[in-house]
Amino acid sequence: MGHHHLSRRKFIGQASCAALTSTTLFSTLANLKFMNAASISNSATLAGGDYKALVCILLSGGSDSHNMLIPTDTNQYNHYQTTRSSVAIPLNQINQLNGVDYGVHPSMTGIQNLFNSGRLSFISNVGTLLQPMVKDEVYQYEQLLPLGLFSHSDQIQQWQTSLPHERSSIGWGGKIADLLSAENSNDKISLNISLNGSNIFQTGRNTVEYSLDTEDGAIGIYQYRSEDSGDIGQLRDVGVDNIIDANYQDIFKRTYIDVLKTSRDAYVEFSEALDGAQDFSGIFDDTEVASQLEMIARTISAREELGMKRQIFFLDMTGWDHHDELLNSQEAMLNELSRAMSQFSTAMDMMGTQDCVTTFTSSEFGRTLTWNGNGTDHAWGGNVMVMGGPIRGGQIFGQYPSLELNSEYELGGGGIMLPTTSVDEYFAELALWFGVSRSDLRTIFPNAGNFFDVDTAMPIGMFK
Amino acid sequence: MKNINKFLFTIAIIALSTYCISAQYDDYLGAGHDSGITVTTSSEDGRSRARNTINARGMDADLIEISRLMSQATFGADMEEIRRAEALGMESWIDEQLNIPITYLTPMHWEIWEDLKLQYEIAFDTWLAYYITELCQAADEDPNIDPPNFSQSEVDAIKELYLEELYGPYALHFNFAWSQSMLSSDDQLRQRVAYALSQIMVISAQSDLGENGESLSAFYDILLHHSFGNFRDLLLEVSLNPAMGVYLSHMNNPKAIPEQNIHPDENYAREIMQLFSIGLFELNIDGTRKKDLDGFDIPTYNNDDIKEMARVFTGLGPSDTDPTMPHITWDAHFGLGYYSANKTEPMIMYPEWHDTGSKSLLNGLEIPARQDGITDIEMAIDYLYNHPNVGPFIGRQLIQRLVKSNPSPAYIARVATVFNDNGFGERGDMGAVVKAILLDPEARSCEEMLHFDNGKLREPVLRDSEYIKVIPKYGEKIIYDVNFSSYSCEGIEYTGDTIVVLDNLRLWNNGFNFYDAVKQFPMMSPSVFNFYLPDHKPTGEMAENDLYGPEFKIHDTSTAINYINSVYVHTAPYYDVAWYNWYDWVGIEDVKFDFSELSAIYQDDPEKFIHHLDIVFTNGQMTDDLKNTLREFISEVPQWYTNNVPYVPVKVVLYLMMWSPDYTIAK
Repeated sequence: MGHHHLSRRKFIGQASCAALTSTTLFSTLANLKFMNAASISNSATLAGGDYKALVCILLSGGSDSHNMLIPTDTNQYNHYQTTRSSVAIPLNQINQLNGVDYGVHPSMTGIQNLFNSGRLSFISNVGTLLQPMVKDEVYQYEQLLPLGLFSHSDQIQQWQTSLPHERSSIGWGGKIADLLSAENSNDKISLNISLNGSNIFQTGRNTVEYSLDTEDGAIGIYQYRSEDSGDIGQLRDVGVDNIIDANYQDIFKRTYIDVLKTSRDAYVEFSEALDGAQDFSGIFDDTEVASQLEMIARTISAREELGMKRQIFFLDMTGWDHHDELLNSQEAMLNELSRAMSQFSTAMDMMGTQDCVTTFTSSEFGRTLTWNGNGTDHAWGGNVMVMGGPIRGGQIFGQYPSLELNSEYELGGGGIMLPTTSVDEYFAELALWFGVSRSDLRTIFPNAGNFFDVDTAMPIGMFK
Repeated sequence: MKNINKFLFTIAIIALSTYCISAQYDDYLGAGHDSGITVTTSSEDGRSRARNTINARGMDADLIEISRLMSQATFGADMEEIRRAEALGMESWIDEQLNIPITYLTPMHWEIWEDLKLQYEIAFDTWLAYYITELCQAADEDPNIDPPNFSQSEVDAIKELYLEELYGPYALHFNFAWSQSMLSSDDQLRQRVAYALSQIMVISAQSDLGENGESLSAFYDILLHHSFGNFRDLLLEVSLNPAMGVYLSHMNNPKAIPEQNIHPDENYAREIMQLFSIGLFELNIDGTRKKDLDGFDIPTYNNDDIKEMARVFTGLGPSDTDPTMPHITWDAHFGLGYYSANKTEPMIMYPEWHDTGSKSLLNGLEIPARQDGITDIEMAIDYLYNHPNVGPFIGRQLIQRLVKSNPSPAYIARVATVFNDNGFGERGDMGAVVKAILLDPEARSCEEMLHFDNGKLREPVLRDSEYIKVIPKYGEKIIYDVNFSSYSCEGIEYTGDTIVVLDNLRLWNNGFNFYDAVKQFPMMSPSVFNFYLPDHKPTGEMAENDLYGPEFKIHDTSTAINYINSVYVHTAPYYDVAWYNWYDWVGIEDVKFDFSELSAIYQDDPEKFIHHLDIVFTNGQMTDDLKNTLREFISEVPQWYTNNVPYVPVKVVLYLMMWSPDYTIAK
C-alpha cells in the first residue's frame, strides 16, 4: 500500500465526507448507477450526495438502561434509589455528566467523556408505541399496545421494523437500503453490512445484508482461484462456478445459491478494498464489540474503493437479559461498550469521518425498576445513546420521567416505564439525516404521523 | 464419459416403474426424468429395468426411499445401514428405533472426562520434555537466562500445577460426548429427535452453563429420555431441571417481597408458554390461527397470566450442593448460587420462598391457595399440556426439524391428532408423534416431494455430522516414550511412534470451530430463541411466496462461505482430519477419513461413484446439472491421479457435492 495510500487517506480525511472522484465511476455500469442515483436525487429522495453511515449497536436481551443513565438531583435520585432498592447504583459512584442532572454508570467513563466533549447524547425513555399514550389509556385500550409487549422476540423485532402493530421481518434499515442502494456505485456489495449475520433490521424487500466476519472481514471460498491450487484446483474452480451459476428450478435451491453467488462476487472486491483500509492497531480493545466496531471503521475507511456513499452497519452485542447477576454483568458489559464506542469515535476522528457517521444504540426494552432478588425483568421504555459529529452532543433528549413507583409514567407498580418517545421518532430522525425523503418516511414508518408532522418536523431535534 | 453414453443408448421397451421416486419429468433426462423417452435393452436381469437404468434409478428405488428416511431420522447413514434398513422395511426400522436402549450422554461425558484426565496425567512426561526443551531454547537465545535443571521436588511441584491446568468438564467435553454419541450410537432416531427438542426447549452453553459440561449433558439426557415418552413428563422434567432453572432464572426465584420491591421473575413463566408448549396464539388443530369475531388472532395469554404464572414458579432452588466440588461443606439452601449448586438433579421446592396465594390464570384456571409448590407447578404443567395448541404447535416444529419447512395444515393436523390420541387413548405420546411424522404421506410420497413448497435447508450441523458419520474413519496418534536422566537440556531422551487406531475411536469433535464458522452447534444457541425461529422467511422469493425457511436465518454471506470452507477442510487433497484435535499432544488420536472404499468405487467406474453419492447423500435427488458438473470434472482429471492418488478427485467430487444445493436442500 505504502506511501501513496497514506497520503491519499490524509487527503480524504481533510476532505471530510465529500466523495472523491472514484475510478469505478468510469465503468459503464457505474455510470448507469450514477445516473440512476442522480435522478433519485432530483426527485428529492436524497438530501445530500456525500458519504453517510449509520451504525446500529443492538444490545439484545433488553438492557437495564436505567442503570446506564441515572438521575442525580436529590429528589429524582431518591426515587431511583427507593424504587431500585438493592440494584440501585450508589450516588457517589455515578459518573456525573456536565450540564445536566444525570450521570452514567460507574464503568462508563468513556461515554462520560464523549458526552462532556459534545460527541454523544442520550434519548430517554424510548420504546415501541403505536401512538402517544398516557397511563390510563394503557390499561383501557389493549388494542393500542404493541404486539407482544415485554416479549423478547416481538420487541426485538419491533425495534428493528418500527412496526409495533404487526409481525414483520422487513426492517427499517432494509427498507432504506431498498430506496437508496442506487446511490452506491457498487452493485455487488450491499449497502447494509452486518457484523452479526442475517438480521431483521437490515432485511429489505430487495436487500440482503452483506455479512462480514469480525476478524477476517470478507469471507472467500478457500483456495478458489488461488494461484497455487494446481491443475486439480483449477478444475475444481470450474465446478464451483458451474454449481453457483447454474439455473435452479427449485425455490429453496435458488434462495440458497443466491447467497453464495452474492458472497463469491463481493469477496474479491471487498477484500481488495480492505487490504488498503486504514490500520487501527492499538486503538481498539480485544473485545467482541470493539473488534466489530474496528471492522466497521476499516470498512468505512475503504468507502471510496468500495464505491459507497451510503452504508448502514449492524452489530449485535448480546447478553443483556439480566434476570440475574445484574450488577456484576452490567459493570463488565457497560464498560466494554463504553470503551468500544469511544474507541470508534477516536477512529472516526483519525479518518476525519466523524461528521459522516452516526452511531446509535437499540435494545428491545428497558427492564423493570424493581428486581427479583438478583436481577430485573422485561419492561418497556429505556434509554439509548446517539454518537457522532452530526449529533448535538451533551444533551438528554426526550423526557426522563420520575422513577417513583405509581408515578405518571410508571405502570403497574413494578417499575415498567411507559415510553415518552417512540421508536418511530427516534428512527425516523435517523432516516431523515441519512437522506430518506419525507414522502418515503411515511412508507417506512407508517405510524410516524401519530407522533409528529412528517412533512416538516424533526421529532427529536438531535441533529445539528 | 463413456458411462453416460452407455446409459443413453441402452435399449429395451419396459413397463412404467411403480416406485414413488420415479416421478415424471419432461424437462430433462436423468435423476428420475425419463418421460418421452422410448427405451429398450438387449439384456435384463432380475430386478433391473431399462427405464430405471436410463433414469439412473436402477434397482435402487427402495434404497433411495430409505435413504430419504435416514436423512430425516438419523445423523447420517452409510450404505450398509441403508441396506440394513431396507431389509427391515421402513416401519420396522422405526419400530426398532423406538424400542432400542437409550444412549445417554452423562455416562459418556464422565467416561470421556476420566479418560482425558488419565491421558493427560500420562502425558506429563511428554509435556515436561517439551517444556524443558523450550526453556533450553530460550536460554540458547538469551545469555541472561539460565538453562533449566530441575530437581525431583521441583518437578513434582510443576506436575501439581500441570494437573490443575486441565479445565473441565465444561461445554467442550459436552461437545465431545455429543459427537461421540451422534457418530457411534445405534439409537439414531432418538438422538435426532432429542436434538430437535433441544432446539425447542432451549438452554445454551453460551451462558454460565457453558462452564459445566455435566449440566448440559444432564439436560440433554432428559430430552433423550422423553423423546419417545410422554410430553407432560418432558415438560415437567425440563421445568424442574437446574440448568433450565439457571438459564431462564427460575432457580432461586423468590415470592414477592413488597417492602424490597422484589417481584417474582417472569422469564420462565413467559417462555414455557411462548416457546415450550402453547405459543402466542390460539391454534386450530391444523396449526392455523383461530380468529375472533372481528377476524383477529386470539392471544393464548396476556401479561397478567405471565405474572400469575411467575408466582407459580417461585420457591424452586437447588436440590443439593455440587457433588463434584468436595470443598463445599455448607448445605444447599434457597439462593445458593449456581457455582456451588447441584447442576444435574431436579430442583426442589423451598416452601418458605413459594408464593402460596391462589393464582388465577389462563382462561379460568384457578390454582388454590396454600398448596404445596410442586402441586402448583404440576397443575400449571397439566393445564399447558392439555391445551389444544400443543399438538399443532410442537408437532409443526418437529416436522420442520425432521422433514420439511412448510408442512401443509393437513399434515400438521394428522400429526396433532396423533398427539391428542395415540390410538390407545393416550395424549402426548411422543413416539407415536415421531412415527406419524415420518410415515405421513407428505413426508413420503413423491407427489409431495416434487411440490414447490417442499424442502428444507439441511442444518449445517446435520450436513457436517452426516459427512463425518458416513465416511469411514481411522485414528492416528503419536505415542512418545520419554526418559529423563536429569531434568535438564542434556537429560531428555525420547522417541515417538505413530500408531494407527482402528477401533473404539475417540470421536471428540470440539464443536467450537464449527460453531465459529457456521453459527450452529448443539446447545450453543445464542438465546432461548434457538438458532432460528420456526416462522423465519428468507428475504426474496421465498418470503414473497410466503414460504418459511428457518435454517436460512443462519445462511448468510459469511456463514455460507464458511460452511464451504469447512467442507474444504474435510476434503483438501492431502489433508484428512475430521476436526481440530485439542488434545493430540496428550495422545488423543487425530480422527482421519479413510477414502479407500470410495476410491475403489471411483476407480472401478466414476459413474458408479456418483450414483453411490446420490444414494447416500442426495437421497436420489441429484440433478443432471450437478451430475454433469461432476462428470465434467472427472473427465478432465489427468489419468495419473486416478491411477495413483484416486482419493484426490474423489475428495473434490465430495467437496462439490457437499455444498451443492442438491445436497444442502433436502427435498
